[in-house]
Amino acid sequence: MVEFNTASDLIASARQERQTVVVAIRGDVDLHNSTEMRTELLDILIKTSARKLVLNLEQVPYMDSSAVAVLVELLQRLRKSGGKIVLTNLQPRVRGLLEIARLNTIFVLAANEAEAMGK
Amino acid sequence: MKPADDPTFLKLRIDSAPAKVAEVRRAVEEYCRQIGMEDKVCCNMGLCVNEALANVICHAYHGQTGRPIEVMVQVRDDRLEMAIRDWGSGENPASQLRHEHDPLVPGGLGMVCLRQLMDDVVFTPQPDGMLLTMTCRCQHNKPFRKP
Repeated sequence: MVEFNTASDLIASARQERQTVVVAIRGDVDLHNSTEMRTELLDILIKTSARKLVLNLEQVPYMDSSAVAVLVELLQRLRKSGGKIVLTNLQPRVRGLLEIARLNTIFVLAANEAEAMGK
Repeated sequence: MKPADDPTFLKLRIDSAPAKVAEVRRAVEEYCRQIGMEDKVCCNMGLCVNEALANVICHAYHGQTGRPIEVMVQVRDDRLEMAIRDWGSGENPASQLRHEHDPLVPGGLGMVCLRQLMDDVVFTPQPDGMLLTMTCRCQHNKPFRKP
């Protein structure tokens, strides 16, 4: 397992386990900082060449559509190389927005990181 | 328009900086709690204001900061009205063709939220910008409280 440090407050932790990278996001994500989330996650994906991204959203009480757009972009990028994104520990507001966007059936969802690793 | 010191009327004037969106969202959610809205509906109102402001910043002002935005929220007996005024491009999102929202195509989700979560969404072009009025009617015939 390899752990990563980033300068961004949005990234609570990041680690790689074989072809999977597990990233915990921290805080509300909206128009103000969704670009920062995009930059950080893209940087991690490029550095690791991971094909599976597990995003732990336990510490994300709120996201807006700009954050969802970043997740969709990353999903499209990973799908091109046969990869996927698994979202874990969804908080009610984030889950609600994914349902409105009809993305709750497109992203792989898991209750926690352990379950996500097996998906 | 009611005066800004009227406690039943929330009026905020911000500049078009993305960092300001969260503070308006939280103020609107708090106002909605004070009038007795269910917590989930308060959150939905906050999301709609967030998305409307993001549309103004990104599309009416094309990402420019330092431009004015006014947010006005008031409760009437059976409904909550939220108005957002900008002095931007005047582009009317309602005049764009409504395609079925494709979840895998980024963009357009903000308008989907407004249409799904509000009872009425009206864009009224102004000589120098746009006025968006969003309305949410009370649930279960239970009138809102005055804040």
